[in-house]
Amino acid sequence: MKILNWLAQTKIWQSIFRTKLPISTNLDKSLVIFNSLTLHIHPVKVRLRAIKFSYTFYLGMISFFLFVLLIVTGILLMLYYQPAIPHAYNNMKDLEFVVSNGSYLRNMHRWSAHLMVITVFLHMLRVFYKGAYKPPREFNWIIGIVLLIITLLLSYTGYLLPYDQLSYWAVTVGTNIVQYIPIAGEKIRFLLLGGNEIGEYTLVRFYVLHCVILPLFMVLLIALHFWRIRKDGGLS
Amino acid sequence: MEKKKLYPENSNGKNKINRRIFLTSIGNTATGIVLLGSFGVTLEYLSPNVLLEIPKIFKVGPVNSIQPNSIIYEPEQRTFVIRDEQGYFYALSAVCTHLGCTTKWNDSGAAGNPNAVISCPCHGSLFNKRGEVIQGPAIRALDKYRIQLEEDKLVINTAEKVSEDEMILKV
Ligand code: HEM
Ligand code: FES
Repeated sequence: MKILNWLAQTKIWQSIFRTKLPISTNLDKSLVIFNSLTLHIHPVKVRLRAIKFSYTFYLGMISFFLFVLLIVTGILLMLYYQPAIPHAYNNMKDLEFVVSNGSYLRNMHRWSAHLMVITVFLHMLRVFYKGAYKPPREFNWIIGIVLLIITLLLSYTGYLLPYDQLSYWAVTVGTNIVQYIPIAGEKIRFLLLGGNEIGEYTLVRFYVLHCVILPLFMVLLIALHFWRIRKDGGLS
Repeated sequence: MEKKKLYPENSNGKNKINRRIFLTSIGNTATGIVLLGSFGVTLEYLSPNVLLEIPKIFKVGPVNSIQPNSIIYEPEQRTFVIRDEQGYFYALSAVCTHLGCTTKWNDSGAAGNPNAVISCPCHGSLFNKRGEVIQGPAIRALDKYRIQLEEDKLVINTAEKVSEDEMILKV
């Protein structure tokens, strides 16, 4: 305790954390939020009801937690994965049978992905049935829909990466569905596949979408989503 | 309440252009053109020009080594080359017209139907030996490719789809 007290008095500590210790009064507590970056997404005070489990079932927070888990496990998986034919499939087998704890990590990534689709969907249902989409929150509902679409696209692009039979045919079927979009369908399919058939370019394109472009949009939109909750007056 | 206008107006109601508006418009237009141009260039960049895909034209044969009433499946080009009872040839695409899975040829038929010699593993479409739909979800018959005789070999061009009247090669 003494060391902590001394630490809190040092110049280095005080230049990093603006809040003076010890935190005792309510004012001190609110200053912790007030003096930090968190203020942009988290208010100083919340209504008791908003943090009650039975109101949100924490579904949005669980989705966010799963997303963070997916980023961490995904980055670790990237260390053993090459988006090339035939390496991709062999890398997956190595992850399963050769790399220490590889199958554990891969399963974490896969199960979190499946779970996230479910929790995001349930979160949307919760928002719908509680009427939390009503003004002034209507724009956050739209952001939410885009988040749902990105979640599904992440699922879909990730599905090709193991490059097994399931991957191959799921992407064959999926890109053929895209082909039925009027006018631009054929072109979009060509751009997605990087050719007329699934091949090297397709794998790289899906990899870049899955590991860079979609997560980037996801992070930006989640930030906007959280910031809007606060600006719309906290949870409804 | 008086509405604020984007551009100030003269007393005769026409838009007044001063130096600031003039320069901003030029700047905005130039930026717009550059952005549009970069967008176009990027879109073009995304389409590969050279593709290492399998050749569209392939050969099968010699013809007299192929028995009547038999089929040859070319997995690379996903094509069935068929010689019927009369000894005529035709080539069918093995790509399902529903959503693109590879169909399988089975002489004894599928799903209890002896005519359904071509079946799709993905969603269960069935086709007869001419590639016509027996059961959906596919609604279109399998594609037929141009097939020609060159010396003693069959030449099939998967880039050239032909109609029913042109599909048969009589030898
Ligand atoms: C990646 C997906 C998503 C994440 C990480 C996420 C995260 C969150 C979080 C943490 C909350 C706080 C309340 C809670 O936990 O329930 C929230 C609220 C909200 N979300 Fe989402 N969300 C996502 C997708 C969606 C979707 C698909 C919709 C609807 C289309 C949506 C609409 C909303 C709305 C309107 C609120 C405000 C609710 C209120 O004020 O009671 N979100 N979101
Ligand atoms: S792709 Fe053949 S039935 Fe759907």
